[in-house]
Amino acid sequence: MVWLSNVLNGLAFGSLLFLVASGLTITFGLMRTINLAHGAFYLVGGYLAFDLYVRTGSYWLSLVVAVVVTAVIGMLVERLLLHRLLNQELPQIILTVGVSLMIGDLLLTQYGGSPISPPTPAGLEGSMQLFGSVIFPKFRAFLIVLALVLAALIMAFLRFSSIGAKVRSAVDDQEIARTIGIRVPLIFLLVFGAGTALAAFAGVWGGALTSLSPDTGLDVLLLALVVVVVGGLGSVPGALIAAFAVGLLDQFGKVLFPEWSLFTIYAPVALFLAFRPNGLLGKVESR
Amino acid sequence: MNLPSPGDHVKSRRLRSAVVLGVLLLVLLALPFVLPSFYLFVATRILALGLFATAFNIVFGFGGMPSLGHAAFFGLGAYVVGIASTRSDLPFVVIVVLTLVAGTALGVVFGLFNLRAKGIYLLLLTLALAQAAYGLAFQQVELTGGDNGISGITREGVPIPGSASAFYWLALAMVVVSLSLMWAFMRSPVGMAITGLRESESRLAATGYRVGSYRVYAFAVSGAFSAVAGLLDAYLLGSASPSNMAFLLSAEVMVFAILGGAAFFFGPFLGAAVILSLELYVSTLTSRWTFVLGIVYVLTALFMSDGILGRIAYLRRRARRKTAESPTRAAAGETDVAVPADTDDLVEERHT
Repeated sequence: MVWLSNVLNGLAFGSLLFLVASGLTITFGLMRTINLAHGAFYLVGGYLAFDLYVRTGSYWLSLVVAVVVTAVIGMLVERLLLHRLLNQELPQIILTVGVSLMIGDLLLTQYGGSPISPPTPAGLEGSMQLFGSVIFPKFRAFLIVLALVLAALIMAFLRFSSIGAKVRSAVDDQEIARTIGIRVPLIFLLVFGAGTALAAFAGVWGGALTSLSPDTGLDVLLLALVVVVVGGLGSVPGALIAAFAVGLLDQFGKVLFPEWSLFTIYAPVALFLAFRPNGLLGKVESR
Repeated sequence: MNLPSPGDHVKSRRLRSAVVLGVLLLVLLALPFVLPSFYLFVATRILALGLFATAFNIVFGFGGMPSLGHAAFFGLGAYVVGIASTRSDLPFVVIVVLTLVAGTALGVVFGLFNLRAKGIYLLLLTLALAQAAYGLAFQQVELTGGDNGISGITREGVPIPGSASAFYWLALAMVVVSLSLMWAFMRSPVGMAITGLRESESRLAATGYRVGSYRVYAFAVSGAFSAVAGLLDAYLLGSASPSNMAFLLSAEVMVFAILGGAAFFFGPFLGAAVILSLELYVSTLTSRWTFVLGIVYVLTALFMSDGILGRIAYLRRRARRKTAESPTRAAAGETDVAVPADTDDLVEERHT
């Protein structure tokens, strides 16, 4: 039954990747704003929650404050900087890498370079037994459920809520959306805020799974980018499938060929993208 | 590009460029006599990273393909040196050839993967490829030393080993030769076709060019010279490590190119020189170089997306337009087509 626990561990890591990628799916996938500072926001969320938990001891307070504060920082970055570079991919890349360098350096001076672990909610300690013989940590099982619920929520929000409809229209055709009275810049600001909030949320949960240090943000970011593109830009179910696939690739790569572990993720991904650049469920773009 | 019919004007311009280059070269040759050794180290580093940025720009500025994975080539060159020089006593020339072959081969792989990818997809595909290479460098511990990398690379096999000035001159010679070769390559029919990729791939295809093969050529040449830059860096630092292959280096070389001016042959080199000099200066004031570098990135993205040379060309054009009052001249200056006749022979202007 070793393979089953490997599958579950792969799915748990995939769930973490989906948590990170969900924010990217809406900022990068939908808005087409390349945000390479997403990994930095992930770190900010995790570190803030850790700091607040040490000070206050209240899990939910730390989680909420960390997520809200990070979302505000994200919206400031959007409003003051990124907004000037709409549809300019390369300057967006440079700008957001710059922002993440600055945030990374601030975190390093504030908290030091050694890994920290954000808090976990009460009741998820210890493990449970599955099918008699497989022992699996409750926290990881919960993470898988959380990813599925979050995916369903985001899809439902985009599909059924009026704000979701506005977001979709703002993304599909900005000019028409503006002419019918949708405040596109405001929508983009809110979407970006939601994206960074999701990054911070992922930082709190993912940090608890893998522990955080100033350079883990980049690793997570790059994997999440891959997940978003493999899933198809802007597709939430695609990102979910891709996240699980990458999580499983990672887990089995580490177990079966430890010497090749990162290679076993990125080489198949590159091959896949070479033949199917639009990803699993991405729309075919009209050129 | 299309030079205007050769007249005295152009000839004198070429002569001036030649004189400027000659003087610059003499100054660079004389540097070891005036600079203290630490500054000479930085100067050598600028040569290596400037070469890297120029090679990167074949794909990026000229080919119009935004690669976010070029650190793979640089790191590959460094690892070829690391492995070959610590495990064998191959002569320097052979190591250089090996580096060129390895860089070209990896470039062909990149090109083949990117036969059809564009824009964001090309960015992410090159990123994924570079991360795959990074994974190998990080995990194949027996070959690469893993996280620690390979240290203790000596310059014993290098012609005239030992002194820092000798290595500086060697690096200068290799960089000058590499830049000249790339310059010639970009003016060859193949290089012109690569520039055509950026201008309009569909027109290029309609004219009968096999577009995909030019993508492969661009990556192959760019990869070979990027690997040479990695080789110089490894000899200079005496080590090769996964950070030579990491994403941040791929992003940094893109900043070099954009800050200097990606539309110009010498722009990326200038960008590398500016950022490395700034690093040298800032490090004397504060230990927070990473933070300052972040600010530089942000400012570059917001205000300098045409680059330093692009800004200079723009200011010159505007000054000229002001002096030439006649409306027809001004109108011609508006559409950049008339501009290359006026720009310096050294700087290749992109006119889109």
